[in-house]
Amino acid sequence: MTDFVNNRAGGPQVGRNVAKIDAFKLARGEPVYTDDVHPAGMLWAKVLGSPHAHARILDVDAARALALPGVVDVAWHRQVKPILHTRAGQSHPEPSPYDTVIMPDKARHIGDRVAVVVAESLAIAEQALGLIDVKYEVLPALTDMDEALARTDVLVHEVADPRGIAEGGRSNVAARIDKQVGDVSAALKTCDHVVERTYWLPRVQASHIEPHVAIAWLDEDGRLVVRTSTQVPFHLRRILARILELKEADVRVIKPRVGGGFGDKQEMVMEDLVALMALRTKRPVRLEFTRVEELTSARCRHPQRIVMTTGVMNDGTIIANRMNVTADTGAYGSHALTVQGNTGQKVLPMYPCANIHFQVTCLYTNNPISGAFRGYGAPQGCFALESHIDEVAKVLGMDRLELRRKNHIRLGDTDPLSAKLGEGREGLSRVIRSTGLETAIELGCEAIGWTKKRPPSAPHLKRGLGMALAMQGSGIAGVDWGAATVKLNEDGSVNLLVGATDIGQGSDTVLAQMCAQELGISYEKVRVLSSDTDLTPFDVGAYASSTTYVSGGAVVKATQQMRDQLAAVFAEKWACAAGEVVFGDDNVSCGPGKAMTMAELASHALYAAKMQPAATASHMSNESPPPFAAQFADVEVDSGTGEVFLRRFVSAVDCGTPIHPDLVEGQIEGAVSQAIGYALFEEVIVDGAGKVKNPNFLDYKIASALDMPEMVTILVPTVEPSGPYGVKAAGEVPIDGPAPAIVNAICDAVGVRLCRIPATPERVWRQIKEAGE
Amino acid sequence: MKIAVKLNGRNREWEAAPGATLLSVLRDGPQEPRMTSVKRGCETGDCGACTVLLDGQPVNSCVVAAARAHGHAVTTIEGLLGDPLMTMLQAALVEHAAVQCGYCSPGMLVSLYHLLRECRAAGTTPDDHAIREALTGNLCRCTGYVKPVAAAAAVAAALAAMRSTEAGAR
Amino acid sequence: MWELKEYRIAGSVGEAVAMMRRGPGKGVYIAGGTDLFLFPPACDYVVDVNHAGMSSIARTPDGDLFIGAAATLHDIATSPLVTGFAGGLVSAAAAHCGNRPVRTTATIGGNLCNALPSADLAPALLALDAVCYIADEDSQESLPLEDFFTGPRRTVLDGRLLVGIALSAAAGERRAQARRLTRSAEDIALVQVAVALEIEGDRVGAARIALGSVAPVPMRAMLAEALVEGELIANLDPDRLADAAAIAAAECDPIDDHRASAEYRREMVGVLTRRLLASALAAATDMSPDSGNEGGAA
Ligand SMILES: Cc1cc2nc3c(=O)[nH]c(=O)nc-3n(C[C@H](O)[C@H](O)[C@H](O)COP(=O)(O)OP(=O)(O)OC[C@H]3O[C@@H](n4cnc5c(N)ncnc54)[C@H](O)[C@@H]3O)c2cc1C
Ligand code: FES
Ligand code: FES
Repeated sequence: MTDFVNNRAGGPQVGRNVAKIDAFKLARGEPVYTDDVHPAGMLWAKVLGSPHAHARILDVDAARALALPGVVDVAWHRQVKPILHTRAGQSHPEPSPYDTVIMPDKARHIGDRVAVVVAESLAIAEQALGLIDVKYEVLPALTDMDEALARTDVLVHEVADPRGIAEGGRSNVAARIDKQVGDVSAALKTCDHVVERTYWLPRVQASHIEPHVAIAWLDEDGRLVVRTSTQVPFHLRRILARILELKEADVRVIKPRVGGGFGDKQEMVMEDLVALMALRTKRPVRLEFTRVEELTSARCRHPQRIVMTTGVMNDGTIIANRMNVTADTGAYGSHALTVQGNTGQKVLPMYPCANIHFQVTCLYTNNPISGAFRGYGAPQGCFALESHIDEVAKVLGMDRLELRRKNHIRLGDTDPLSAKLGEGREGLSRVIRSTGLETAIELGCEAIGWTKKRPPSAPHLKRGLGMALAMQGSGIAGVDWGAATVKLNEDGSVNLLVGATDIGQGSDTVLAQMCAQELGISYEKVRVLSSDTDLTPFDVGAYASSTTYVSGGAVVKATQQMRDQLAAVFAEKWACAAGEVVFGDDNVSCGPGKAMTMAELASHALYAAKMQPAATASHMSNESPPPFAAQFADVEVDSGTGEVFLRRFVSAVDCGTPIHPDLVEGQIEGAVSQAIGYALFEEVIVDGAGKVKNPNFLDYKIASALDMPEMVTILVPTVEPSGPYGVKAAGEVPIDGPAPAIVNAICDAVGVRLCRIPATPERVWRQIKEAGE
Repeated sequence: MKIAVKLNGRNREWEAAPGATLLSVLRDGPQEPRMTSVKRGCETGDCGACTVLLDGQPVNSCVVAAARAHGHAVTTIEGLLGDPLMTMLQAALVEHAAVQCGYCSPGMLVSLYHLLRECRAAGTTPDDHAIREALTGNLCRCTGYVKPVAAAAAVAAALAAMRSTEAGAR
Repeated sequence: MWELKEYRIAGSVGEAVAMMRRGPGKGVYIAGGTDLFLFPPACDYVVDVNHAGMSSIARTPDGDLFIGAAATLHDIATSPLVTGFAGGLVSAAAAHCGNRPVRTTATIGGNLCNALPSADLAPALLALDAVCYIADEDSQESLPLEDFFTGPRRTVLDGRLLVGIALSAAAGERRAQARRLTRSAEDIALVQVAVALEIEGDRVGAARIALGSVAPVPMRAMLAEALVEGELIANLDPDRLADAAAIAAAECDPIDDHRASAEYRREMVGVLTRRLLASALAAATDMSPDSGNEGGAA
């Protein structure tokens, strides 16, 4: 394994808050997102969604729709070759089941694709939907996980997954995991206390403000071009080429600015439809989801039921831990195995012990589709574990902070579970080589006032404090990789071409800073292109908190290679040793009198030495060093109404070296706002017939400016040896802890434990009432 | 139907369906140029990506009839570029790293512009709560509102400082 | 998209009713449109009332408050005439509707004519005995707001125009408190309670307890009101208030939906009514309330 030489942390370009490179154009409202530019002759697509949660699509009669002036084409399953695939944007071979075709002959959830229409205007396309006559054979809908598990007479997928991941055709199980370190059952018998509780996690939705939107067209050579709001352009290219039977060279995916993704765009939600219709009509085709479609037909966080069983000794030593997860993947198995894998893998290692047992049963149902969402399974697991630790402390009569301090993972500890659970196959074991967890706990306690709880602000309120610890990863060890190309122009400016996808988190800026740092130039001289599969080298995409750590490594390596080329050119001109050439402040030098500006050197390289300074490098890490977080909530609860008022929230996060501290804080603050919704009010409510009851923002509430508490964000820098400049990830870990911290604070305030979130006023009130009876 | 509006200071005539929303006419065309700073996020008046000024007041253009604008003034970010207050706000948002994906930014800027212009006219300085109230119609899923609110507060403070210098000069 | 054949803009009340009755086909009035664009009804034309001279907020020399049906929620929330009336009960209700940009165009008329059980202005206006003024081509009518709602999304209007609402000067003197319960800061109310008490020396005169989101229509808890009305303040001890609150809870008729259960809604009517009565009385007698009222007149 190659560690980075991390003596440069805090240099002039990295470690500082430069202006985010795309911020001005975004603040000016420039046309930079997918839908902002419409190709000439563009058609508007709409999807006819199934009104039934489970129904065979016997026949589709589009004659009336096609007769409507302005309707150009209608496609449905008889017209589209059914090639099994997964829409999950993951590295090949994907660990998600191949259970999907472009146009299914059976609708598996309300809103599932029945037909797709393209027309000259949106209004005509909408009108045409009402003119398509469909014959359905309605089938019994499975909307309950336990029923889905029990029944084999009703199957959501009747065809076996060709790669054997899911049990289609035999049962409704989409994924199973059963991994054990030590022997939990035996160990539990030796413990002073065994604490078992069950926790329930809701279905929530990423709710990026820009909906899914894609435009496809054929270029002058007849190649397919798809401009789309995605996190995974390269995975998309691969999947599109395969299912549309095109050469990869004939598919070009362009990712412009993206209005938020959070995992929901780590998925081919609609790109195959616009591509299909562009190929059929030979005209540009645009499709955008409405918010209703987002909340019914995009992806959700997997709802789970988690049973935690923990064995402890009287002194608080944790001996054994079992996590048993039942999860609902909905109609398709995108990310079914890996999200659930993360629920244990990213969470259980927090408290290492000799006996760990992790079990998952993930079920197909006729509910909306689950998938990737920031945190990727860890928020569910963290809620269960960190709620449970408070419960264990209560049983022991021990201070909950003390119990955590006694058991949490430390520098040099090995996490044995990771070796057993990779990305769907055996993974790599992980040793903690950097951690700021102890410091984070200390600083966080201080900021929240852990030892001096403030009094309630009104007589009818009760005050409580709660905390939670969290860890995540930095990319997927041994799987995630990315490449970068760096190119010097004759005026000393640089083009940096990366497959890594900036979806708003600011990776373009951070990668430019890294490139500038290595070249000794200012970051403004670096122009970043991300991403265009024709122009930029491969990257798996923006997910699993990998961009800074993994793609950053590729940028550093590529830039170093180009720097070596420049050093050689310089050394030849000035007759000095290449090893002694120094780069910095936009200059290159080698001792007194031997100096050039970067622009002079660039011009020299191109016109005198006649070479293009450029390099492409790839980077993968066999490690996935966990960032750590200690998070704290200060709440007041109205025990009469059950309302929870979140007063202050503290996040102390070890993210390695922050390359751009403000952007890291922004990641934390944004993650916390999403997690506050998870804790208190977000829930996609699905009725027994599979219908979403609240498919709009009127009723599916996400945090507004008034829902936010006083926020304290503390960065705890550490230096991670395997990361460039010592970086780790920061995008996901802060979304894990808020829900358990808030619920633990509610418990501290009013003495009742909410095992089910969101902690709506009614749930809190009911819990208080039941406790009183 | 024909709709006569003053869009960003210029008289324009739109051809629009009677049931069209202001958002669809501003953003989707067919009238050119499309006002692409006006974003579509929910179409239920909740997210504020579509916020524009109607006679100087913020509205969510997805729940306002295009016909409602007949004989009125509509202002989008495109029409405020170069306005000193808007420029200050944009710079503050950038400086405070308050723009992440940026999809909410134009709408937020319209709301904040309106707030600060009103406060300036009234000679007041909005506090944290007033800024948050002004942003109630602008959902942001990226920032947790911390940095946008800080950016607005910084501009409010700068305006207050300018006011007191002016008062001192008088 | 909303399929409409025609958008008519009325320049006066007379023109509005004439345009509505002219046909052909079905027409509806449109004010802010903030509800109509969410749930577009099937119709042929709309009549825009924003320029019909119905947007004024005025106080008569006698102190009565008149609010035009097309007055916007933002104007109502910020008008000194309304913020100074009955402790700002109506302006606070308007300020809690939707969000800032929605309130620029949303109107009080739309809020009431919409006739949702959760209409935010209704409890405040019911607690102040609001009177509705209704016009049609050749008729005019005024009636108490209580008689205006006939069911969820149904009113007495039947194609007629709501011109405005009036509140008496006496109502403006009432001690009023209100509270709405929600899941998040900006949310459709789960439960709304507004309480308004007329204080006549050491006695309560008129007492109003109005409820929202807990019955098919916004309603008054008249049996509970009767327990308080005309009573000596000294007799209104916590037990008596608890009795009134329990009666109010019994009077309402909530449903279970995905936002909250009927049981919770009913219980909350009790909790909030008791608290609001206590704090309204405390405010009247300048005593501090026995339990706070988080969010003020929210
Ligand atoms: C994001 C958002 C949040 C919201 N939050 C809330 C909330 O918290 N609380 C709440 O109560 N409401 C809320 N609403 C609903 C709505 O905004 C309000 O009810 C608003 O007051 C409606 O007024 P309007 O003028 O926009 O009505 P319109 O949409 O113009 O009309 C509504 C109905 O009333 C009829 N109508 C309007 N004026 C008249 C008249 N003068 N005479 C006869 N009929 C008439 C119309 O025909 C239509 O049926 C929200 C709406 C949105 C978009
Ligand atoms: S699109 Fe108008 S408020 Fe969301
Ligand atoms: S910055 Fe992405 S929604 Fe606000």
